Amino acid sequence: MQAIILFGVLVLTYLMFVAKRMPVLIRSFRCQSFFLFLVTSIMAFDEHQLDLYIVAALLFVIKVLLIPYLLYRIMKKMRVSGDIGLFVNVQLSLLCALGLAYLAWIFSARLVAPSSQAQISILTIAFFAVLAGLFLMISRMSALAQIIGLLVMENGLFLLACAVSGGMPFFVEIAIFFDVFVSVVIMGFFVYRINKLFTHIDVNKLSNLKG
Amino acid sequence: MTKVFFIILQLILFLLAAPLLSGLISKVKNNIRMRRGQSIFQPYYNLVKLFSKEEVVSGDSSWIFKVTPFIVFSSMLTAAILIPVFIFSPMHQMGDFLSLIFIFALGRFFMALAALDTGSSFGGMGASREMFISSLVEPAFCLVVFCVFLQFGSTDIAVFSGVHPVSICSFITAIVLFMVTLAETSRIPVDNQETHLELTMVHEAMVLEYSGRSLALIEWSSYIKQMILFFLIAQIVFPVNFSGLWILWYFVWIIIIVIAVAVVEVFVAKMRLFRVADFLGFAFVLGVIAVVCAILGV
Repeated sequence: MQAIILFGVLVLTYLMFVAKRMPVLIRSFRCQSFFLFLVTSIMAFDEHQLDLYIVAALLFVIKVLLIPYLLYRIMKKMRVSGDIGLFVNVQLSLLCALGLAYLAWIFSARLVAPSSQAQISILTIAFFAVLAGLFLMISRMSALAQIIGLLVMENGLFLLACAVSGGMPFFVEIAIFFDVFVSVVIMGFFVYRINKLFTHIDVNKLSNLKG
Repeated sequence: MTKVFFIILQLILFLLAAPLLSGLISKVKNNIRMRRGQSIFQPYYNLVKLFSKEEVVSGDSSWIFKVTPFIVFSSMLTAAILIPVFIFSPMHQMGDFLSLIFIFALGRFFMALAALDTGSSFGGMGASREMFISSLVEPAFCLVVFCVFLQFGSTDIAVFSGVHPVSICSFITAIVLFMVTLAETSRIPVDNQETHLELTMVHEAMVLEYSGRSLALIEWSSYIKQMILFFLIAQIVFPVNFSGLWILWYFVWIIIIVIAVAVVEVFVAKMRLFRVADFLGFAFVLGVIAVVCAILGV
């Protein structure tokens, strides 16, 4: 069961490489977070930990409901087209994704004893999500897409923490969630300001001087 | 002797039941859209109508144009007796998964030739688009074959029926095959079967010059192709072991696939031609994941 959900996370991460428009990206981020929520709930159910239940609930409220809603609102408010500019086209992005997944696989296969196949696959997917977020941040022009890249990286780190230690300490977890939420709000505000000053959120054109 | 009987039975099943699936898909689609829609036997009526009509052949066409419907039809029938439906291995060691792909390719090759043959502009356009799509479909399809090979040690289609438990790998393979099926049977994200608008059509543009009996044969063979692909998906996701109520399981799976195709057709918009490359590229990457899963053994 957990393996199928992890596979879902993997496919959704690939889907983000294919996405060409903002709503698709937000929707796949929302689905990815939902799958993370499922993973956490299963883990909590297995280990009978109250902390993990609360973490899962927080994950659901913040990452599945609040942050996508905020991103949608920013997108609507700015009335920019949903287009996320691609530095790297879709096919090349997919190839890069395959390469990154391979790197993540090699890395996690070195890290863990080769006998635990399940452990390797969960680590691979977590690392891959981190690398995918990084790739999204450097290869998409729209500032909103870069925010999503950061969030995907955070998702990957969360998965990594789950895989390695069965969840971080409770307060750390809550602090991180709060951090992420606040950072999204702040970044949304910044994007809003950028849009107001430059009338677009294409980061590529930020170097032009505006009087 | 019983084997011959079963092969003939299988052929008759494919010939008779294939149009029904198309009718079923359009019925489900219309029900989702809250319409009444045409009867599920409409494809049969269309076939009967086309068979009773006179055929018009362009004076500039060569023998390829006349012979193509028969080649397409017979290649689809050949493909239909390769897959196990009633018995374990109908054509033992004579046909495997790879040969299925090449039999499909043979039919498509002659279709493209015939479309170019009459020299109409639509035919050439349709042929070039079809070749573009099929060149993208084939890698994904071949990865499905590799995945099956890695899992079962043989590409004989009969090998993977009845032996394996449902794994993640077979699940992913089935999804890849589903995406390939959408492209191969010219379903909506890739192509639209219903329109005759020159901007969107791929398969329809190729058969535009055909009429009467030849058109009926081509339509019929595309129904059979669709049914073959559905059966393959059902085989990969839920392997039957030819005992008990396996026919019932087949029936359930085919219905599920029909509903899935209909839902995709209703809720997904048709892509631009150059977005098809992304769609099939995604299928290819999923195929690579499936191969990796097969190697890891999950």
